[in-house]
This record gives sequence, structure tokens and C-alpha cells, in this order.
Amino acid sequence: MSQNAPQQSPSAAGTVRASPNHDATAPSDPGPSGRSGGSQRGRVLVGLALALGLALLLAHGLLVRAQADRGAERAQRKSVVALLGLTDLVQRAGGTGDAVGAVVAGWPRPQGGAARVIAFSGIKLEASTFPEDTGDKVAPRRLSREEKPLYDRGQRLRAAVETNREEGGARKSEVESETLPSGGRLLSAPVEVDGQVVGSVEWFTPVLTEVDPISWTPALLAFLLPLAGCVAGVYALSRQGARVAVAAALFAAGLGGYTVYSLRTLDAELRETEEAVSAELRTRGETAQKLMAAHDLNAEPVLKPGVWDADAMRRPLGQLTDAGVPDAGKLAVRGAQVRGDAGKALGALGVLGLAVLLFIGMGALHRTVATAVEFRQAYAYVAPAMVGMVLLVFFPFAYGITLSFTDANLYNSSQPLSELWIGLKNYTDILGDFSFAKTAADGSLVFNYLNFYYTLLFTILWTVTNVTIGVTVGLLLALALNVPNLRMRPIYRVLLILPWAMPNYITALIWKGMFHQQFGVVNHVIRMFGGEGLAWFDSPLTAFFTALATNGWLSFPFMMVVSLGALQSIPGELYEAARVDGANRWQQFTAITLPALKPALVPAIILSVVWTFNMFNIIFLVTGGDPGGSTEILVTQAYKFAFERYRHGYAAAYSTVIFGILLIYSMVQNRMSRATEAA
Amino acid sequence: MALFSERREGISHVPLHIVLVAFTLFTIYPILWVVSLAFSGKQSLAIATLPENPTFWDRLRAVTPWPEQFSFSNFQSVMTDQPFAKWMLNSAIISIGTTVVGVFLACTAAYAFSRFKFPGQRTGMMAFLVSQMFPGTLMLIPLYIILVQWLGLGSSRLGLIIVYATTSIPFSVWMLKGYFDTIPKDLEEAALIEGASVGRIFWSVILPLAKPAVAVTALFSFMTAWNEFILAATFMDQETMYTAPVGLRFFVGGFSQQWGYFAAGSIIVSVPVVFLFLFLQKYLVSGLTAGGVKG
Repeated sequence: MSQNAPQQSPSAAGTVRASPNHDATAPSDPGPSGRSGGSQRGRVLVGLALALGLALLLAHGLLVRAQADRGAERAQRKSVVALLGLTDLVQRAGGTGDAVGAVVAGWPRPQGGAARVIAFSGIKLEASTFPEDTGDKVAPRRLSREEKPLYDRGQRLRAAVETNREEGGARKSEVESETLPSGGRLLSAPVEVDGQVVGSVEWFTPVLTEVDPISWTPALLAFLLPLAGCVAGVYALSRQGARVAVAAALFAAGLGGYTVYSLRTLDAELRETEEAVSAELRTRGETAQKLMAAHDLNAEPVLKPGVWDADAMRRPLGQLTDAGVPDAGKLAVRGAQVRGDAGKALGALGVLGLAVLLFIGMGALHRTVATAVEFRQAYAYVAPAMVGMVLLVFFPFAYGITLSFTDANLYNSSQPLSELWIGLKNYTDILGDFSFAKTAADGSLVFNYLNFYYTLLFTILWTVTNVTIGVTVGLLLALALNVPNLRMRPIYRVLLILPWAMPNYITALIWKGMFHQQFGVVNHVIRMFGGEGLAWFDSPLTAFFTALATNGWLSFPFMMVVSLGALQSIPGELYEAARVDGANRWQQFTAITLPALKPALVPAIILSVVWTFNMFNIIFLVTGGDPGGSTEILVTQAYKFAFERYRHGYAAAYSTVIFGILLIYSMVQNRMSRATEAA
Repeated sequence: MALFSERREGISHVPLHIVLVAFTLFTIYPILWVVSLAFSGKQSLAIATLPENPTFWDRLRAVTPWPEQFSFSNFQSVMTDQPFAKWMLNSAIISIGTTVVGVFLACTAAYAFSRFKFPGQRTGMMAFLVSQMFPGTLMLIPLYIILVQWLGLGSSRLGLIIVYATTSIPFSVWMLKGYFDTIPKDLEEAALIEGASVGRIFWSVILPLAKPAVAVTALFSFMTAWNEFILAATFMDQETMYTAPVGLRFFVGGFSQQWGYFAAGSIIVSVPVVFLFLFLQKYLVSGLTAGGVKG
């Protein structure tokens, strides 16, 4: 939408230059210093405005989001400190009794905040400062039926603690936090006394907006100052290249300035967060000391407020020292990390914006729009199909290629591809592994059926044998059917085409049934003549034979039809003349029939090679790669890697290699056909 | 006339007929086999049950494609007891949807490629051609991720229609463009002088003239979608959303051995496409051998 802007007012003259068909717009051009000069200036300005505006808008959005994240982190960490501090005191009070009530009452709460303690023994509400727990519901009391979720949550925490302890790891959350419908947050932690979870502490904080809104002023300044500079520069300079260069420099300055501001804000925010948490920690630590003294709580082990600043597994975050002071070294590390991420995002924005600027400024947009308008009818007719193809064929193709450089699988599909990037490793794994066979102890050759080169060799063998069978049988049948005055030729022809007409997955399943070891027709015939039935799918050779029989059966009709068509177009006079010249039948065949067949048969063979190479259904449904993947062809192997072993990235690389092979094949074939045409 | 050209009229074709009949019997044997399973009324793979110590003749009976007794029960129960009718319906909806969407898009695109000269024309045609070389499995993985994981179109007819329609476009465009090229331009020029718009010319001059080609293209699209197995097997993992091919495999794949249902279902599914194919094959051969490499 916005990219069409320069079309409208300042640069109509550009359109005129690009496409003479639009003379109508020329008189309305008010350009003061010649047509093209005015439009080119406008282009640079619009380009800068768009690029910088877009980049700054996105950068501002990113900053606001980072700020909100930081605010949420600060609130969460402060709440966790309060919760775990209180839990610490409750544990020291033994988890039950009057001291617990006193500690809960004495623990400072934010405006509208509240805490409660649940004890599992007796299913009791041990202490509570929630407004609803007053009057006849004042703690301590037994939990009512409606309050069962509180007890359940405590039990869940106990289960989590025990699981983590058993596994010696940290898999389940030991601090639950949830956002209530009111917007406030409720956190809960388990109370452990003598290694047993005996209850839970819950801590409620109302909605806290600790985020300072980010002002628009810096972004606006970073936008307007370069733009003003650009207006001056555009009129001062006469060469378009120089104007665009100035605009690009100003764009970099504007975005760079805003980047510096963003990074500084982020840094300050980070420091502020640590200080806020640290302050919270220290005040709560002091309060805890006072409460411990006042209620004569267990002073062993020594109170360490630093551990209250913890994650959901109650592991200390380590951002603060044990005394609760920000750790300068760790702060620096974290700051660098945050700055790195932000820098990367802003760098990408810069590249994007610069591309927009150059695209508009150098007039490429102009030309594109002009072309689109000039040929709008043609494009309108092509567009729907093209859009569909781009979205569902070319984009997936590109995505597949990208995937081939990653370690994507079923379990990490939620992560961005950039984190799974492993470069060319898939390709080196596939193409660099030459161990496709080794000599076993008894001297026989053992193949590694998962190896790429084994499968490639097998696929080539499969393709060559199939095409040979198809061409031979098809050609012989065509010659037989081409005998003049043959009766019932149409009937033979229709019946012999049937294998091609049948859906090939049905053919495959039929043949799989016919090769069944016990009831299959093929084994019946073998037994009929006194032989033993074979377990066809137990050895690579016989399994290969079943697939070959199936595919041979369904592929000869194509060759037959093609050859028959070509044979019938040979004029009979040619043979008459040959006979007059005394040529025998074989000479007639090689001198007349074969050359006449060639133009039809060669494309058919080329096509048939690709079909057989990619003949997924037959292999997949007849042998399924049995035994042990020995009869897998490349495409079925790629499928198995993707959908049975779930190695999407590896399978994508495998498929890309297949695509490369097909590409080379078609290029070679193209060159050869061109060479034969020229000869 | 070729290898056998010295046979004159009056010379017997009997030896040739014997060879041809034998080979034809061998060719149609699997089809007869599946037909006799379908009418056997049983689920077994065997045409006849063998006695304890089978003789040569017992075994010959077991391979003769003629059921022991005729019964329509397999056809009846595959359509009523089994969800096969539902799978056929899925296949029909998907194939018709694919045909309508695919052929419409292909018609407009082929018309533009045939009648207009515009920048990107050659590139576009080449892109269509090259896309035919993308191996199915390379497309399958990203399509699976995009349609199933991102768009949540797994086990939905719409997802399959979209994929089939777009993948059928290049072949249809090439077929239709070839035909549009043969329609003389005089007709359009006459209409243009009469003041008709390009859209009107397309709808009321070109399309009616191209009806046979459009029909053939449509039938091909339908047949391709009707016979497709891999994409359907990958995308449709709910049993109620299977297409007929996936369903047929379900009968005899894995540990399931319902060969009677499979045979009856195969016949129901194949009969229309076999006739369609016999009708269309002459167009197919010329279209394919002209189009070069197609995977």
C-alpha cells in the first residue's frame, strides 16, 4: 500500500519516462526544476521516509516489548523473593502453629497483596491474610470443600519436589505461578520440614505495572532530523547517486542513533531490575531477622536471603550475591547478551531498511510499478496461479532446502531454524560416508543398507532393469500388434493397456498379495510344479524381484503405446522400396523401423527413467524396503528418514541430493538431445 | 509392417495369436485375480482352500481366477459395514475440488502465457516446468510442516485440495497453452474491433473454443487427485478423513488382512478411472512425450 505512494504525487513524471503509454499524467507534473529532477528528489525523500519510518517503528516496538519483558521479570522476581522468604520463615516455624500465623501477619505485603499457608496434616488453612478469611472463616481452620484446589496445588508441588529429588534433576516446577482473572498473580511454593513437604505457602500480588512507558520522542527525533537533513542534501546535490548515498548515510545515522538509545535504555533497565530485586531482598532479609528474633524461630541454618531470588525449580538465579547485592560480573555478562540480541535484531532492520531505501531511491520500484501497470492484464491472469505456485510449491521448495542445513526433527519443531543451523553437516554425513559395504568374518560382503551410496546403486540398478524390461517387452508387443491385417488388434491393445490404466497403488497391493508366502498365487504355481514356496520378502534378491515384476508389469504398456504409434506412422511404401532393393527383414528393421521409432522412443525412455527413479508407490507398498531397508530406493529412503525416523533436516538434505541428481540428469539429457538435433 | 512384414494375406497368424493370447492372459491375470477375490465373499487371499495333501489339480484350482462361489457380500459390506463409502466421498470431494480450482487457475494462466507478451513470460513458463522436477519427498517435508504444523490443515479435505490443485497447475498450463496457441488470433481481433474486453473474449470466445482441451485437462486433474497416495497417506491420519487409496491400503497393510474388502474396494475405485484412462490415453501420450522430463 504505502509503497505505491511515490506513484501518486511528487513523481508522476517518472512514470512518464518509464512508460510512454501514460502521457495523460504528464501535464499535471508541477516539478519546478525539470521533470525527472523533481521526481528523483521525491523518490529519495519518500524512500528515506519509508525506510527509516518502518525501521524505527519496528525498533520502537521491539524496545517496548523488551521493556515489558523486563518489567514482568522484575515483578515476578520480587514476588518470588517475597514468597520464598516467607516460606523460609514458615519452615523455621515448623510449618504449623501460632508462630506461622504471626510470621504471615508480620511479613510486609504490597498494597492489596495477601498470603496464606496450607498444612497437609488435617487439611488445614494454617494462616491467611486474604480478606475473605476473616470473621467465622479466620485461620487456622479446616479447609472447606470448595477450597480443595488449594490443597491439590500443594500436593502437586509435593509431587514435583519428590520427582525432582528422585531423578536428581530439575524437571518439574517447584514454584507454581498463575495469572488470575483479576490480572493479579498467585505464586505458591512447598513448605519443607525435615525433608518432608508438609504444606504450601501462597503469595498473591495484585496487578503491578512497573513498566515506565517508553517515550516516542527519541524515535521521532531519529526520524525527523535525518529527513530534514535529507531535504537539504537533496536540493544541494545534483547527482542522483550522491543523493541516494546521502540518504543512506542519514538512514544509518538515524537508525544508529536510535540503536544507541535503545541499548542504553535496555542496559539501564537491566541494572534497575537488579537493584530493585536487591533492595527488595535486603529489606525482606532484615524483616526476616527481626521476625526470627521476635518469635524465637529456628536460627539454623543461617539465613541466606540470596537464595530467595530463584527460578521455578527453586534454584538461585545467581544474579545477586548471598548478601543480596548485584553481582557486577554477572550483570555485565547478562547485559552483553541482551545487547547482542538487540544489536542483531536492529542490524537486520538496518539491512532491510537500506534495501527499501535503495529500491525506491534508485527507481527500481518505479520501474517495477510501471511494468506492472503496463502489463496489468497479463499479470492479472497469471497472478492467481503464480501466487498459488509460489506459496505451495516454490516457498516449500526453498524452505525444504533451508531445512536441509538444520538439525530439525519432530522434537525441536518449535525452535527457530537459526538455532538448529548445522551448516553442511547433513550433506557431509550423507555424501561423505562411503562405508556402504564391509567384508564379514567369513569373507562375504555385508552391505550397509542405510548408506546413501548403497541406495543410489540400488536405485540405478532398479531404474536400468525396469526401463530395459519396459522397452523390450513394449517394443516386441508393438511389433507384434503392428502386423498387417491382424485380427482382434483393438481387443489386444485395450487389454494390454489395462496395467497402465489401473491406479498403481492398487497394482502394488495386488502383487504384494500374489507374492504372499503362504497363500500367494506365485508360490502356488511353484508348488504346483513340485517346488518349495519362497519367503519372497526375506532376502534382498527375491524382494527386488517382486518389485521388479510389479513395476515391469505396469510399465510396458506405455512403451507399447508409444512404439505402436510411431510404427503406424511409417509409410508402407518404404518397406516396398526396401524389398525391391533386396533388403532382408533384419535390414529393413534396422534401416527403417528403428530410425522411425527413435524420435518417439527417446523422449519416452527419458521420461520413463525419471518415473522409475521416483517410483515411490511400488517400492513403498510392495517391499516397503524389506528386508532391513535393502530394497529402498532414494525417494522411499528419504521418506522413511522424514516420517519414520522423524529426522526432517536430514531427510530434506537427502531429498536435495536427489533433486541434484535429477537436475544433472536432465541437463545432460538436454545437451545430448541438442547435440543429436544439431548433428 | 515391420518384423513380420513378409507374412502375406492368407498366411496364418495362428502362432502369433497364440503368443499374444498367452501374454494377454498373463497381463490380465492379476486383474482377474482381484476380481475373483472380490466376488468370493471371503476375506482370504486364497481363491480356493487347499485340502490336506493337495494334488496338482487342487493347486491348479487354487490359482485359477474363478471364485468357488459367487457372492456380492464383499461389495455390500465394504460400502455399508466399513467406512469405505465415506472414504470414497472424501476422495470425490477432494478430486472435484482439485479439478475446479486447478483448472480455473491453469486456464487463466495458460491464456496469458499464450496471448500476451510480458516481462517474465519465459521465466514463468520455465519455472512451471522446473517445478515438475522437484522430487515429491523434498516437497513433502516442508508441505507437511507448513500445512499440518503451521496451518493445522492435517486431516482436512481443504489442505489436500490446495496442495493437489497447485501441484497440478504446471502440467495443466502446458497442456492448455499448447491448445490455446492453435486457436487463430483472427477471432479475438474481430471481437476486439467489436469492442469486447479481454475478459469477455476469454470467457465467451476462447473458453468455448477450447472446451475439448479444458475437458481433457480437467479429467487428468481429476484422475491424478483420485489416484494420489503418498500425500494423502501423510496428511490424513484420522480414519474418518482417509481417501480411498489410503483406505484400501488400510485394509491390507500392517497386520490387517481383509483382502475381500480390498478387492471389492479396488474394483469400485478403479472402474471409473480405468475407463477414463482408456478414453484419455491418446492425449496423455502426446502431451507427455512433448513435455519432456516430468517426475
